[in-house]
Amino acid sequence: MNAVLVLVLGFIVFFIGYRYYAKYIDQHVIKADRKRATPAKMYMDGVEFMPTSKNVLFGYQFKSIAGAAPIIGPIIAIQWGWLPALLWILGGTLFIGWVHDYSSAMIAMRHEGASFGGLSHRLISPRARIILLSFIYFYLLLIAGAFGNVVVSTAISLKAAPMAWLFLTLAGILAGQMIYRWKKDIVLTTAVCVVIALIGIWLGTVAPSDMILGAGLSSNRLLWALAACVFCYFAAVVPIWRFALPINYVASYIVFLGLFFGMIGIFVLHPSFTLPAVTTFTIGIGPVWPIMFVTIACGAISGWHSIVSSSGTARQLEHETDARPVGAGVMFVEMMLALFALVIAGTIYATPAAYKAAAALGPGAIFATGVAKFLGVLGMPQALGKSYGSVMMVVLAITIMQLVIRFMRVATSELLSDVSVVFKNPHVGTFIAGLLTLVLIMTGWWQYLWILFGGANQLMASLALMLVTAWLMSEGKSYAWAFYPMIFMFITTIAALCYTSYSLLWKVATGVVKGEALVGNTLMGLVGFFLVVAAVALGVEGFKAFGRHRATRASLADKPAGA
Amino acid sequence: MGEGGKKGGGIFGAIKEFVYGVAAHDSARFALKTRASMEHLFILITMGDMLGVPILPPYYSLRLLPYVVPQIATWKRRMLREKDLTDGLA
Repeated sequence: MNAVLVLVLGFIVFFIGYRYYAKYIDQHVIKADRKRATPAKMYMDGVEFMPTSKNVLFGYQFKSIAGAAPIIGPIIAIQWGWLPALLWILGGTLFIGWVHDYSSAMIAMRHEGASFGGLSHRLISPRARIILLSFIYFYLLLIAGAFGNVVVSTAISLKAAPMAWLFLTLAGILAGQMIYRWKKDIVLTTAVCVVIALIGIWLGTVAPSDMILGAGLSSNRLLWALAACVFCYFAAVVPIWRFALPINYVASYIVFLGLFFGMIGIFVLHPSFTLPAVTTFTIGIGPVWPIMFVTIACGAISGWHSIVSSSGTARQLEHETDARPVGAGVMFVEMMLALFALVIAGTIYATPAAYKAAAALGPGAIFATGVAKFLGVLGMPQALGKSYGSVMMVVLAITIMQLVIRFMRVATSELLSDVSVVFKNPHVGTFIAGLLTLVLIMTGWWQYLWILFGGANQLMASLALMLVTAWLMSEGKSYAWAFYPMIFMFITTIAALCYTSYSLLWKVATGVVKGEALVGNTLMGLVGFFLVVAAVALGVEGFKAFGRHRATRASLADKPAGA
Repeated sequence: MGEGGKKGGGIFGAIKEFVYGVAAHDSARFALKTRASMEHLFILITMGDMLGVPILPPYYSLRLLPYVVPQIATWKRRMLREKDLTDGLA
């Protein structure tokens, strides 16, 4: 199959899903009303609640949800063959993904911009809120571990990446100074800092890390894991405008340009898939169901999006009718990003053995090779293209990782400050989050870690859909379009987490793993089981709430009019 | 780029807004959040008795009151709004 055909299929699904399915739900089920006052207008404070143009929010939502996950998922999932991955990306987005993103924004918007904790308290039960918040901490830990692993494996397998990463960091710090301290023009700042970042990408090719640090040190996992944690430490404790935000700002141009020209490269080169359409039902990391459905998370459906949609976007939507382009539309764009990654993984290696050899180095190597190939069509030298791809992968992973560690620092303070005042100290919270992440990076095998992250992410999505279903039931609206996706995701992700946790702990119990892997397997297995227990408890609370809402609606329907 | 942002018409205006949304909207929001947090902390110290938290003697609060009046409604809403951990993520 030709890669262009895959992209065309993506556009067709985009068109049908957005133009017909999403429009029908928006107009006939939710009944979005352009004239109804949104929380952004009702509670405008000029900060969190602020009516914002849908074009700006489209960019904001895209930037917030499109991290490394829609790229890495398909790269791993192609081990089952490109066809199952393609079907899940297209079908998952069409029937579940946009439903989740759009309805998360809508439910928050119709509840005065409340976040998920408040919504679960109101629509399910007080206990549901506590379970949800404790679930979120471990979910974030898995994100940090999985993305940290990607950063480390990319820095080791692509020796140009560390120099490019260093220059990007310096360019970001300079951008922060120029914008906020020296009050320089934003266009000048952008031009100077993006050029510095590009120079770093070029320097990576002429001064790779093995030339500077030596072969041994440049391949040391602990070194790069510590570098990632130190980076995140600064991002968590230094004022956000001085470090994290300006780095993200400069990085967004690098990523955006790479994706744009990479997509053009695919159309110019229009390669065919070289890897098989279908391999076997079960591979090393597990069977296609349920494992593939959590391996490809963000490209089809992702719980992370519900947090962004509810706590961020819903408070800025100027009109209710903007929720469809911003919530649903961006999800379809992310589907295209996942298809881009699938094309890269499926077309750049001549044989499954070549893919397997590359996959052993981590997903960053595969992605960077693909980016180099497609940018090469437009005239960029291979080495430079690989360096560019490697920094894209590092950036996509570490921008989410730093945000997560910063958040875990806040969560530690919120959850444990009653136990001891020492936990209020930002350095203590950051240190705990960094240490836990470091342990996961150093001891966990990246593919298992990725599956656990995907499982937690998809569970978060099914919990968001549960809230949406409870809301639709309480309002007496049609709810099948959210209920059945929720059931599918709930069962699939619990099965995936149980399977993975059992596999990990079985290896511990039978003595197959030793040393670092023993610690990693035990930790990951226990976190996986904790997530399952929390999700089941939340599921029980959710189904009780469904019964309550149905009974309330039935009693309202039984009452005679005017009674 | 709030309500006024939509007025930059046409496809180029939309692209400009999209690029702003990708690259800078988050930075602008965090800058505003930081400023609002500091301002609201100041109002809490000076006007805390409006929320039942008397900190400064009323004399000083009354002297400052005319300058704070435009922000009181927003401040009260922000201070009393239910918050949870996920607010910090987006």
